[in-house]
Amino acid sequence: MSTLPLNDLARRTFLRGAGLTALAIFGTAACSSAVDERHEAASSSAVPVRGGTLKTAIPLDVIPANFLTNTGAATTIIGLVYESLIRYPHDEVSPQPLLANSWELASDGLSLTLELRDDVTFHSGRPFTSADAEFSIKTYGDPKWTAQLKSTAAAITEFDTTDPHRLVLGFAHPLGNIFDLLDTVPILDSESIEQLATGEKFVGTGPFVLTDRTPNRSLTFERNENYWVAERPYLDRVEVAVIPDAQALVNSLRSGQVQAVTNINYRDSETLAAAGAHTATNLEGAELQIYVGTNVQNPALTDVRLRKAIAYALDRDRIVTEVFRGAGYPINLPWPKSSPAYDESLNSIYTTDPDRARALVAEVGSVPTLPLTYQAGNPYYEATAQIVQANLAAVGIEVVLDPVESAAFVKQLIGAQFKALWVTFHSWAQYTPSTLTVSAYPFNALKNASHYESPSYVTAADSAWQVTDGTSDDALERYAAVSKELLDGLFLIEIGVAFNQVVAANAVHGIGWTKRSEVILTEAFVA
Amino acid sequence: MTRYLLHKIPSAILVLFLASVLIFFVLRLVPGDAASTLAGPDATEESIAAIRSQLGLDKSIPAQYFSWLAGVLTFDLGRSFVIGGSISDLVVDGLTNTVVLTVSALLLAVVVSVTLSVASIVWPKRWLTALVNGANTVAIALPPFVSGVLLVLVFAVLLPVLPAGGIPPEGYWTRPDITVQYLMLPAICLALPVGAALTRFLTESLRSELRQPYITTARSLGVSQRDLVLQSALRNALPAAVTALGLQTGQLLGGAVLVEAIFAWPGIGQLIEQGISRRDYPVVQVLLLLSVSVFVLVQLLTDVVHAYLDPRIRIGGAS
Repeated sequence: MSTLPLNDLARRTFLRGAGLTALAIFGTAACSSAVDERHEAASSSAVPVRGGTLKTAIPLDVIPANFLTNTGAATTIIGLVYESLIRYPHDEVSPQPLLANSWELASDGLSLTLELRDDVTFHSGRPFTSADAEFSIKTYGDPKWTAQLKSTAAAITEFDTTDPHRLVLGFAHPLGNIFDLLDTVPILDSESIEQLATGEKFVGTGPFVLTDRTPNRSLTFERNENYWVAERPYLDRVEVAVIPDAQALVNSLRSGQVQAVTNINYRDSETLAAAGAHTATNLEGAELQIYVGTNVQNPALTDVRLRKAIAYALDRDRIVTEVFRGAGYPINLPWPKSSPAYDESLNSIYTTDPDRARALVAEVGSVPTLPLTYQAGNPYYEATAQIVQANLAAVGIEVVLDPVESAAFVKQLIGAQFKALWVTFHSWAQYTPSTLTVSAYPFNALKNASHYESPSYVTAADSAWQVTDGTSDDALERYAAVSKELLDGLFLIEIGVAFNQVVAANAVHGIGWTKRSEVILTEAFVA
Repeated sequence: MTRYLLHKIPSAILVLFLASVLIFFVLRLVPGDAASTLAGPDATEESIAAIRSQLGLDKSIPAQYFSWLAGVLTFDLGRSFVIGGSISDLVVDGLTNTVVLTVSALLLAVVVSVTLSVASIVWPKRWLTALVNGANTVAIALPPFVSGVLLVLVFAVLLPVLPAGGIPPEGYWTRPDITVQYLMLPAICLALPVGAALTRFLTESLRSELRQPYITTARSLGVSQRDLVLQSALRNALPAAVTALGLQTGQLLGGAVLVEAIFAWPGIGQLIEQGISRRDYPVVQVLLLLSVSVFVLVQLLTDVVHAYLDPRIRIGGAS
């Protein structure tokens, strides 16, 4: 008992020490707060304000080696740093001027003359000329960059760049989708292309200059003071953090650490928008399609009746509503509503009709259990695959789920190694329809993941591609022939269109995008 | 001490060599490869073959192993297939972030566990013991992916007082006050299970020391409880706690992978995760080998500290 006073003293010392430590930590927090420094003064007025920083986040850093494949952070860099010769509006495939002022397509469809702007310079200070446009198209067509529209780039056989502000392209055959290529190819700087391949330098002509990149961590862009559009961009700076964890990405948006992100889970974007501080916008014009692919060499799936049974069994509305929270609509053909090939009547051929599906299954006879492959860990594929499994079970087709890692999935897709069925997204149907059949691998008439071979499909695809004007009545008829081939062959069973989304704090205005979901911040401001 | 160390080193080198073989060959068995991941879903076989030869993946696997080993031994770690930078830069960058995080967490764990266990032994009050035990149980039972998300929701979203994630934008040393705030949530999340395990361990060691005859003797001579614990029992309980700490450091590095993901902390854990999912072989090989090396080093260090604290070990006497 005699030790009590000492103990009391020691306890006091101990508590005092602990108190001081806590004060030291929270005291510094009181002086300057990391949270406050990350918040911008924000209101919801929509009058453009010059200056300020926009903070955004992306789940994956850029992969320099596949910069031209329109994936991951490449879309962020291309949207801010680079520009193309023309740009499509969201709702149609009619070219609008960008780095090219005007153009004229020869009446035989075998050449195109583009007049280029003469007031554009690269971020390095070098003026942009027709030789740069030639270099960019040729680089884009180089197989090592595995770019999507390289077959179209390869069909350009002549480049005339004698006038630095006029580019004349000569084609091997009429190219109905030539403007898709010109909308897609970013104008690259030939002097720094080696550094682009290693991720050290990204030099374009766009509204923002990439000033700092820490691999896997962050990208910093600053306003291009010599941008050819007067008074643009509004923002001084754009900071992009790389946050791979989906939950951490949502939390950074929710806590105000970043103000805008694309592609968070649809459910999260719905919750954030419902809470009132954020707005979710569908990237219309940059549609994706979710589909069930079939390997037509699988003994059971060789019979088109079974593929039709699957098409009748799918509950497309349920997938759009539950998985994509309504950010999309059901389809039978790949074309989104903005496509020249879109035909409402053709989209109601396969609606949910379990009785018909069961009848078709009965006609086919006994169906073995079919594996359904999808990328594990992706919430959309997982949920869609489960619904597809339930739909097919209801009509007597047993499906076993086969989740594989994304790297293995890509390998199986390219190698056409899927055993029976698979679920994934495709894109490129929002362009001139022929782009899909000559460029998107699952649809490629000559070689595709389904092992689908049909001379009439090849003819229809080629004829749609080799049309002079991709939006003429003649072209529309050829697209209708492609649609018929796709519906008859049914090697890919479309489920629905899904929109990418951008979710931004209400204080952020003017976010734009291209048909490839590249975010454009030329008109963006924080107010 | 030198002799003791020399005795320990050959086995460490053997472990490292075997690990390098295992890491290299096991990675090659994983389905999917870097070339097709890089090429993307619409690539042709030709472009994949071109990429494969560019990355050196067309050579035989033993040849790839030896050229890699030669590179590692001369500190030339090569370039990342996917991220595009030099691996040494990526590793140094990621490692700095991970070390800052784990060291902070370790310090926090040690300070809290020593304070709590000493406090609960010096003042053996029922409520204090119950409180410490309860807190320990919760801290050990909650995995980082639960405690991390809870911490973010409470301190970054509901009461926005701390950043939800990320590292200090201007570096660690420019503004220490800001750095502390960025570090606090991830460090607490990482330190919780380790601190709790250490507290339990140290409290038990202290209790058993207090039952030793020399303590009874000292107590009979009138030495206060506080002095008994701080001057005698603690010193004898520490060697065992240091071994436990070494093992917990391994836990700490493992836990860092999850904590880094939750708090968007761009460290080694995130680098490994991305390297594996994108088949970035060179990065994963270097990082796995690095983790094995860290484990081996920590174990070696623990042995040395142990030997220093307990002379019976270094002179080979019976303990």
